Parts: sequence; C-alpha cells; structure tokens
Amino acid sequence: MSVEVRNVSKKFGQFTALDGVSLKIESGELVALLGPSGSGKTTLLRIIAGLEFPDPGDAQVLFYGEDVTTIPASQRKAGFAFQHYALFRHLNVFENIAFGLRVRPRATRPGEAEIRERVEKLLKLIQLEPLAKRFPSQLSGGQRQRISLARALAVEPKVLLLDEPFGALDAKVRKELRRWLRKLHDEIHITTLFVTHDQEEALEVADRVAILRVGRVEQIGTPEEIYDNPASPFVYDFLGNVNLFSGRVRDGTVVIGGTEFAVPETAGESDSDAIAFVRPHDIRVTREPGGPAMLAARVIRSNAAGPLANLELVRLDTGEQFTVQLSKEQFQQLQPKAGEPVFVELRNVKVFSDDYSI
Amino acid sequence: MVPASTLHAPRRAAPRRVTAEPPFVRWLLIGVALLFLGLFLVVPLAAVFVEAFAKGVGYYFHTFNDANTLSAIKLTFITAAIAVPLNCVFGVAAAWAIAKFDFRGKTVLITLIDLPFSVSPVVSGMIYVLLFGAQGLLGPWLLEHNIKIIFAVPGIVLATMFVTFPFVARELIPLMQAQGRTEEEAARVLGASGWQTFWRVTLPNIKWGLLYGVILCNARAMGEFGAVSVVSGHIRGQTNTIPLHVEILYNEYNFVGAFAVASLLTFLAVVTLALKTWAERKNAALRGTGN
Amino acid sequence: MAKKTTSVLPGFRLTLGYTVLYLSLIVLIPLACAFWKTSELTWGQFWHAVAAPRVLASYRLSFGASFLAALTNLFFGLLVAWVLVRYQFWGKRFVDALVDLPFALPTAVAGIALTAVYAPHGWIGQWLEPLGIQVAFTRLGVFVALTFIGLPFIVRTVQPVLEDFDLEIEESAASLGANRWQTFWRVTLPMLRPALLTGFTLAFARALGEYGSVVFISGNMPMKTEITPLLIITKLEEFDYPGATAIAVVMLVASFVLLLAINFLQWWSHRHHRPV
Repeated sequence: MSVEVRNVSKKFGQFTALDGVSLKIESGELVALLGPSGSGKTTLLRIIAGLEFPDPGDAQVLFYGEDVTTIPASQRKAGFAFQHYALFRHLNVFENIAFGLRVRPRATRPGEAEIRERVEKLLKLIQLEPLAKRFPSQLSGGQRQRISLARALAVEPKVLLLDEPFGALDAKVRKELRRWLRKLHDEIHITTLFVTHDQEEALEVADRVAILRVGRVEQIGTPEEIYDNPASPFVYDFLGNVNLFSGRVRDGTVVIGGTEFAVPETAGESDSDAIAFVRPHDIRVTREPGGPAMLAARVIRSNAAGPLANLELVRLDTGEQFTVQLSKEQFQQLQPKAGEPVFVELRNVKVFSDDYSI
Repeated sequence: MVPASTLHAPRRAAPRRVTAEPPFVRWLLIGVALLFLGLFLVVPLAAVFVEAFAKGVGYYFHTFNDANTLSAIKLTFITAAIAVPLNCVFGVAAAWAIAKFDFRGKTVLITLIDLPFSVSPVVSGMIYVLLFGAQGLLGPWLLEHNIKIIFAVPGIVLATMFVTFPFVARELIPLMQAQGRTEEEAARVLGASGWQTFWRVTLPNIKWGLLYGVILCNARAMGEFGAVSVVSGHIRGQTNTIPLHVEILYNEYNFVGAFAVASLLTFLAVVTLALKTWAERKNAALRGTGN
Repeated sequence: MAKKTTSVLPGFRLTLGYTVLYLSLIVLIPLACAFWKTSELTWGQFWHAVAAPRVLASYRLSFGASFLAALTNLFFGLLVAWVLVRYQFWGKRFVDALVDLPFALPTAVAGIALTAVYAPHGWIGQWLEPLGIQVAFTRLGVFVALTFIGLPFIVRTVQPVLEDFDLEIEESAASLGANRWQTFWRVTLPMLRPALLTGFTLAFARALGEYGSVVFISGNMPMKTEITPLLIITKLEEFDYPGATAIAVVMLVASFVLLLAINFLQWWSHRHHRPV
C-alpha cells in the first residue's frame, strides 16, 4: 500500500526538470523531498497532484496500486497545500475549508450539517476555531498555512502534498509550525509528501528523506541513514557544513599531510588522489601532539557567539583552511588565540571514490 | 547621559520634509491644476445642463415628448444591449485564454485586441461600409438576399461593437494575469470541475474588474458618434441614436432641444464616473486582500 | 499513455478559438477590407486622393493640432497627476473621478458643450472676444476640443507611476545636496519620462482620429478648419469610396505606427526602468 511514481520525466522546453524519477511512499509515512532550487522537487509534487503531467513515455503515478497517471487533478483526491497558500481571497476561513465539499457532485455532496461538522472538526484540529469568519487577508502567514492544510484535508485525500509548507514564514513561526505538522501527522497518519530546500527541516520532521538533484533522486532513506551514510559528496555537502582535505587514498586508508586515517569503504582501491570530507564537529583540537593521527594547524580566528563556538584554522602543510565546531565547554578549556599553533584530530573521515566534485 | 546638544536645542517648528514643497508652491500648483480642470471639464459639463434648462423645466421635458427622440433612445438601448454582452463574453474568454495559459503569439494577440482603440471612429464605421455597403465586398450578395446592414440597425450595432471591442478584455487581462492561476489550481485539486472553478473562484475574483470594464464599454456604446454616424444614414425615427439625434437638433438650431437630449447622455456619463470610481475602489480592496 | 494535457485548467482551445474568431470577424477582416479596397486604385489615383491640397491642409491641421494638444496635456496632465498624488486637499476624490470625464462623456456632447462655452457669446468666449481671441470656428477651437479629449491619457499613465514612486529616491537626492527643483528636474522627471511619453503618444493617437468633439467647434471650412476624419466622411457622403478609403489608409498607417510606438515604449520602460 503506497503512493508511487515510476520513471517520471518532465521537460520544460530545453530544461529538464525531472529525469526518470521513481519514488515510493509507504502508507502513513511522512516523506520530505529535499533539494536545491531547480532540482525538480516542486515539479514532482505537482505531477503527483495532477497539476502537471509527465512527458509521454512509460511514466506512471500510482495511488495504492491504482494507476492515476491520466486522471485529472480534480478527481485524483490528492490534497495539495500551495507554497503561497492559494487561499480563495473572496471566501472566509470556513468557506475556504468547505470548498472541496461544496463542489462535489450532488450525489456525493454531504449535507449542510455534515459540512459544518467536518469543517469545525478541522478548525479544531488546526486550533483556529475562533477565526472561522475571518478572511485570508486578516490572517498571519502561519495561520494561512494551517488553513490551507485544513482545506486540503477536508476532502479526505489519499495523500497530502505540501509545497514548501514553511517557506514563506519567518524563522520562529517556521520552527513552531514544523513541530505542529509532525504532531498532526502522528495524530492522523495521512500519507504525506512535502517539498523543502531546508535540510534541517527535512531531517527534523520527516520519516524518510528523498534528496533530489537536477531531476534525479540522489538518495533516499531515514534522516539518520542519509546523514551518517551520505551516498555522494552532493548529499554530504547538502546536509550540513563540510571541510575538504586533499590527500591520497590507498586500500582502506587516506593519507592527509603524512597522517593516515581509516576509510574502510575505499578498501581495495589503488593509490590515487582523493578529497576527504570531515564535518566541523568531527574535529578535535588540542595544543599537544597527543597521538599519531594528528595534523598541525594554526588558529586564524574564533567566534564563540551562540551555543557552539567556531574556529577557523589553516593547515600548516598545504595552507588549506577549515572550520571546527566546539562546544562552549571545550572552547573555554582550550581558550584558543589567533595565530596560535594547534593540532587537530579528524574523526568520521569520508572519501567518495568515484566523483570528487560537489 | 543625554548629549548636551539635544538638551539645549532651541524649540522650532517641525522642519519641512525634504520631499515636500513649500506651502505657497503647493497651493500654486493645486490652484493651477484646479483652474485648468475647471475651465476644460467643469465649465462644459455645467454648460450642458444650463443650456438644457434655458427655456425652463417644462420645455426641457417637452423635448422628450417626441417620437423621434424616443425612438433614438430606444435604438441606443437596443444597440448597447447587444454590443455590451457580446463584448463582455469575448473579454472574459480572451482574458481566460491569455492570463491562464501560455502560448506563442500572446503579445501579438493582446496588441490586436487593443487595435480598435487606435483606429479613428470614422474609419471604424467606414470599414463596415466597405464590407457591407451597396458598393462593398458583400454588397451585391446582401442586396440580392434583401439584407440591409448599412444605413440600418445591424450596421449601427456592428460599428458599436468595433469601437467598444477592447474595453472588457483589456480590463480583465492584466487583472487575471496578476492573480495567477494557483487559486484555480487549488480549486481543481479540491475536486471542482472547470465550470465550478470559473463560477466559484475566478468570477468572484474578477467581478469588480469585469463590472468596471462593462461600465466603460456601455458608456462608449451609448455615446459613440463618429463610427455610428458613418453607418447610420441618419434616418429619423429609424437609424438615429441619441448622439446622432443631438447632432440633428443642433444643426437645426434647436439648441435647447439638443442640449436637453445631450443632458441625458451627460447624466449617463456622470453616473458612469461614479460607478467606475466605486468599482475601482472595490477592485483595489479585493486586490489588497491577496495572499 | 499519458493524456496530452498541458494544464489542469480547462477551456484553453475553446476560449482561444473563440477569441481569435471573434477578433477576426469584428476587427481584422473589416480592417483588411480597407486595404483591399485601396489596392483597386492605381498608384497615381492613390496619390491624387491622398495628396490633394485640401487633403494636405487637413493633415497639417489634424497632425499639428493633435501634437499641440498632446503637448499641452503633457504639461497640465503631469501637473494634475502630481497634485492628485502628492497633495491633500478638499474634494480630491471628486477631482480624481472628474479627470475621466472626457472618457465617459460622448464626444458629440463634448463638442456642442465646448462650442457653447467658447462661442463669442459663450461663458468663456465673451471674455476672450474683446482680447481679439476667437476660439469657436477656428483652428484654436480644434485645439481646445483635442486638449479636452486627450487630458485623461497623460494623467492616467503618469499617476500610477507617481504613486509607486519610491520617496527614498528623492530623499537620497536631497541628502546629496540637491534642492527641491533639482531633485524634480534631475531625478523625478527622468524617471517619469517613459510614462509621459506613453501618455503623450496615446493622447496624440486619440486626437488624430477624433471626430465628434471637433466637428461642432471647428466650423469645418475646407483648407482652414477641416480635420482629416471629417474629410473622409465628406468623401463617403459624395460616394467617393476609393478616395475616402485612400485617406483612411493613410490614417490607419499613422495609427499603427503610433500603436507600435506605444508598445515599444512600454516594452522599453519595462526593461530599463524597473526600480532598482
């Protein structure tokens, strides 16, 4: 039981938005489609909703086994929340939510009492009962987004599709609303796919994350899986800050500045140039050359504002710069000064053997 | 600690903003503008009513107690009643195609729709004479089948349709383009059919703009002179519209009668301006409530 | 096989088809007729029709008076737009609505009203008469009528631009030491130039074809106060259809050129005068 797309491609003139994408969302799952702008994520969402159609070929969109590829949006029963909400400006909140019920053919249209009951239930779910008579122009961005969700849910969709649901909101409302969305999903368990370009948002909210890059799915997995085992330098870079160290790979190890680090995934590879990826929080800084796996560096500047402290360092051998993230405690113990020589230890070093470019 | 300069600054009147003019310049500009508008707009407007009532109220109403005047009024209403709805349907259809879809040649189409505005009214009437007149392209055929278009009501309606052609479309196209299509898409995803989407989402959003276009279209349809003059033939009681009747009375030196009939059109113009201002404000309010 | 649908919104073919059909029937085919009729003339006949002395005199009057009227409106239109946008005064809303009067008032009514006002014994004419200024039944009358009908074009093209005008631009000019007049002349006015040009062209184009408001006030003397549209009507009444059509084609070409100019101006100002 799932919502599935198979082999979907879409071109707009010369521009390839989607290039043979296949994706499966299990029933009741909350999946994030993550990617930079132009990666095709919104196009994919619109194709699932029936707002766009895939290029002719063997593309298929399936809702719970049923092929809906040629079924128009109005009959697909996909709930869609638009990025800028697309609320009907001439209708109040209540009527916006009731719209999908009122436009049903007479035979399946619920009675006035039932419509009222269902809308009120939804208003309660989104905690906006007192605003039923307001018009969209009288609401804040966060409230509009919740109304747009309620409106989509009113038609009891088979899948809920959210296009950048928090994109147009300010940082604080964003955080509140994404916790609220997660809670809502835990309550109603509707199969949900949402598009975002914010990795933090995707990792925090979703059960699984699909990463798109120039019209292809680069990797799909749980937040932990993709964060800990990124499939490509692109994914690695997209999910957080990264430091690059040039070195040489040799059968399960990478040599950076004369020091060897274990990288088991390169076992069996012959001697070649490589770029090693290390996250800023996976670097330990000391004043003493404590062990063998240490690189010599010099402090350029430090910044301790915020919950974590950032150190800018430069490698003494190659002059490459990199960033280290320390906890406040570690920072106070170390008290690094600009220009001071230090030693660093790299952990969780990652090397991608086939493609070094990000 | 408060800076000393702030504490000891002498009290002065609030200085003029850098983007404002000195009061006498301001009042001079307002004065000149109002004088100009007064001389060019208000005085002629007032003159119509003063001249119309020059021989008293009784004589004013006496003017309308005339079969030719009444038939001119009737013809004007018939003409507007045909031309306005047709151009209205056209305007909505054109705006829907242009604003909600992408296709090649859109700019050319918009320019062509605007074309009648840049054609002289006299030429607008003339082209129908060339097409349907006795010496025209279809003239012999029409004569054979005993169909009269030029110097008859159909010609008046056609010429009116031509000169009022762009009003509704050019009002709706930018409005619908600005509104985009996401609200319609939202309606479709929620299960609305094409008609339901149009009636329940698009129409409520454009109703004031549509009304605005219809008002202007109607004012021009009822007041058109040049184009209608060419195709009408000026047959009293048959092919005279109100503006043509004004001309006839005026040329007969029946000035009071001419101004009395003209006052009817002037009243229509004033009502049009009031309605237009009202629709404009409603439209602005509706636009202001966008997401 | 996917259905060949490009949009979820229905009715594209129906509405576009209807648009093109209706446009062709009402506008394009009749207009084409004028050119078809002209093609029946030889080049010599055409030239004789469009370049006769009486016709040339009418061009001079039509183009000249239209140009001067548009120029007058350029100045007063900008003034009215400025006053309506920048200042507050009693009755402003009424004045704003009044500006559209020439759009709403039928041209024939405007014609007889202006004639009554500017005739030698009219409300304004009686004051000009002792000064030796005759308006009605002279070229000046043509100019007055064309100024009347062209006024809203400039006001309505400049007004929205002035409303959206970012005051910070004027403030920055002032902070750089420009006085109020320098700011207006060097900063504000250049930014209004595309709108002014568009408005001017619109008013000029409208005046060129105007008939109803002019015929009453002009007196219609051949060679002196006869405008080109009137000449077309005269020829039609004499059943000289080829002659009328030839002059009409000249007018049509002039209006198409102006229409192109307006489109170009709008495209150009859109491209080069976006706020930064």
